[in-house]
Amino acid sequence: MSGLSEELTAVAAEPTPASRTWRAFRHNPLGLVAAGLLVLLLLVAVAAPLIADYPRGYGDDVLAGPSAAHWFGTDHLGRDIFAQVVWGTRTSMAVGLGASALAIVLGVAVGVGGAYFKRLDGLLGLFVDVMLSLPVLPLMILVAALAGPSVTTLVLVIAVFSWPEVARVVRSQALPIVTLSYVDAAHVMGAPNRWVLLRHVLPAVSPVIAVSVVVTASRAVLSEAGLAFLGLGDPSSWSWGTILYNAQRSGALSSSWWTAFFPSLAVLLLVVAATLVALAYNDARNPRTRQDRSR
Amino acid sequence: MSTTRGLRRRVALGAAVALTLAGLAACVPSEPDGASGGESEDPGRSDGGSGGELAIGTTADVVNFNPLVGNSRTDSWVTNLMYPAMMTIDDDGTKVPALATEWGYGEDGLSAWIEIRDDMEWSDGEPLTAEDVVFTIDAVKAEQLGTVAGMISAYESATAASDTRIEFTLSRPDGAFLNSIGFWMPIVPEHVFGQAPSVADFANDSDWVSAGPFVLTRVERGQRYVLEAVDTYPLAEDGRAALDRVVFRVYPDVNTEVLALRSGEIDLIGNALPPSVARDIEGDEELQTFSVPSLGWAHMQYNMRRSPLDRVEVRRALAHAVDYEAIREVVLGGNAVSANSSVLTPTFKQWVDETAEEYEYDPELSRELLAQAGVENLELEMIYDAGDPNISSWAELVRDQAAEAGITITLAGLERNTYLARTNERDFDIYAGSWAIIDEPQSNFSLLFAPEGFINYAGVNDPEIDRLLAEASSALTVEDARGPLHELARIVTEQVYDNVMYVEQFTFAASNEWTGFQPKPSELLSVVNPQSLASVRAAD
Repeated sequence: MSGLSEELTAVAAEPTPASRTWRAFRHNPLGLVAAGLLVLLLLVAVAAPLIADYPRGYGDDVLAGPSAAHWFGTDHLGRDIFAQVVWGTRTSMAVGLGASALAIVLGVAVGVGGAYFKRLDGLLGLFVDVMLSLPVLPLMILVAALAGPSVTTLVLVIAVFSWPEVARVVRSQALPIVTLSYVDAAHVMGAPNRWVLLRHVLPAVSPVIAVSVVVTASRAVLSEAGLAFLGLGDPSSWSWGTILYNAQRSGALSSSWWTAFFPSLAVLLLVVAATLVALAYNDARNPRTRQDRSR
Repeated sequence: MSTTRGLRRRVALGAAVALTLAGLAACVPSEPDGASGGESEDPGRSDGGSGGELAIGTTADVVNFNPLVGNSRTDSWVTNLMYPAMMTIDDDGTKVPALATEWGYGEDGLSAWIEIRDDMEWSDGEPLTAEDVVFTIDAVKAEQLGTVAGMISAYESATAASDTRIEFTLSRPDGAFLNSIGFWMPIVPEHVFGQAPSVADFANDSDWVSAGPFVLTRVERGQRYVLEAVDTYPLAEDGRAALDRVVFRVYPDVNTEVLALRSGEIDLIGNALPPSVARDIEGDEELQTFSVPSLGWAHMQYNMRRSPLDRVEVRRALAHAVDYEAIREVVLGGNAVSANSSVLTPTFKQWVDETAEEYEYDPELSRELLAQAGVENLELEMIYDAGDPNISSWAELVRDQAAEAGITITLAGLERNTYLARTNERDFDIYAGSWAIIDEPQSNFSLLFAPEGFINYAGVNDPEIDRLLAEASSALTVEDARGPLHELARIVTEQVYDNVMYVEQFTFAASNEWTGFQPKPSELLSVVNPQSLASVRAAD
């Protein structure tokens, strides 16, 4: 009897999965630094107007190297590259988050739908396979070129070509879940599909979704930078890719390293930070990788 | 200085983008080995050859070896070295003799004649005669070939009065006819091109025959085009080109060309350098630069088919909302001159109107003009070719400056084909672009300003302009044409039918190891024109 009550107390004191994950995450310094970096970049994006004036017009000091007046130097029209990188963070983040949100919604719908509704699975699986086999970059270039450059176009184009990977990962995670006994029990009790999906399936795949959000967002930022570098960015807003594109087309690339270095660095930091955060979260969430540390 | 550059280069090489460029540069062929080319034949030197080889960088392949059909820049650079034009252009923008020696019109303007040199021959030994000229112009007329076909609407027939004299019959007086065919029509050999059932379909992609300083001998698509010097080229000082060989090499873009020039892989960049690169190269002691004016102009046009751009006050408001001097100084790095907002630009000394004045940058005046027109919250879209580095840069300045005058301009930097399609459909509010060569205002202006003009993008439809166009085109001398053209240009400026912003000064760069270049106006002729390459020699 006393043994049972001890066990019950132990269960009650057992931390929730979220707090266990958080505890494990906190013990991963690389993950913490990366998360800090992401938060910093988000802050820069939100507070851009407070950090630097919007780069417009032209300046007197053309292609000047980094100095106290221009931390990141100036471009071929004498505009401050620091300000461009700061304001570029906004567009790059907006496109990254926007495209990733859209891709996640589509990918989760298709992935969970395929896993749950068996009759749809074959068709959806085929569709995902076809989408995955398409040459993504040339198609993105084609669509972006035809639709005309704007932030909305970029978000849509990148999302349209990013969701299949999310769908595949989510589907593989959801497949074993839908066969579990508590899902069957819900069916037996007459629960509607919507309820089962929302209460049982989605929560079970949510860790995968969380990782996908971060990874897809960083990939979207890369895609945006790539398209903007090819001249398909929005000419009315600054993005990291646009700064690189300006450096390339003005011919400053070979003579003024700072025009390409700082925006590239920003892209690199964001992508590395996002990847590290996703890895650290995945490790912290997974009991098998977490085991050593929590013991 | 060299240490700084070395450091910069090393840092730049570290960047990922530079790695990509380096990867692309790796595709460039190694030094050509004259003996190894199986199909290579040397029609050139009997003296053993000591003139050396000049390697020229270009950013495109030759699309068409038939000079009457191909008209891309690299096409022209290569074919101009083999198929001579009758005239060329001097620094004042005036047509001067090349293959032709003299020319003129009959008194009624319905006949014309050209005398050509008697010492020219094709590289296979056939003489170049008046018959070749007659064959060429008849082929152009009959098959409507290239841009020249659009310039010879007055042409009826031609005869070879002797081996060196061609006589033309015209359907109406056309004061630009001789200059147009003289400059634009490369003469092709009748005994080669005449063999094909149709000149338009003749690919001319092997066994080339040349009457220029060089002849093409080897083609490696995507890599290089080798031209050997021919034995006789009477237009050169020594009766033949000083060089043994000219090689055009293909690079992905101008950045890579600059790296190749600096590393000694090429001796000359055919393409004009972007201002920031030009600025950088001008300080390099191992390189020389040449500056030549454009034969066209950069401009904005306002689509008058759309309200409120059909009102002259609104167009003037837009014209006064741009700081042209800032664009020339900052974007073009000073490599541009003002055209005083006139379509008669200072490049052409014989046509220029000295009284023309540029639109002043005055946002207040713009606001007043808009208020007069009763237009508020003007929002317009400006289209341009996103691949053009200068225009994409100044488009941003135009947008920012127009905002000062309360005008919102949305930029639409488009991929080139989309841009061309929208321009042809006249689907734009503001068009930003440039004309490469407008060399004969007497005839070219009707393309620009006649109601049915092929490149009348703005939708000019003005009876007074039409009258002046007719008067100018039938004038047989410069003096007679100047009056109506000046009047026409003044109306164009007043009505803002075409907002001429600047005339670009192109910069070209070559290695100091060569001398004797003869730069000519425009990116088309630049330093790769036949006269120039025929006189290039190794520096002492």
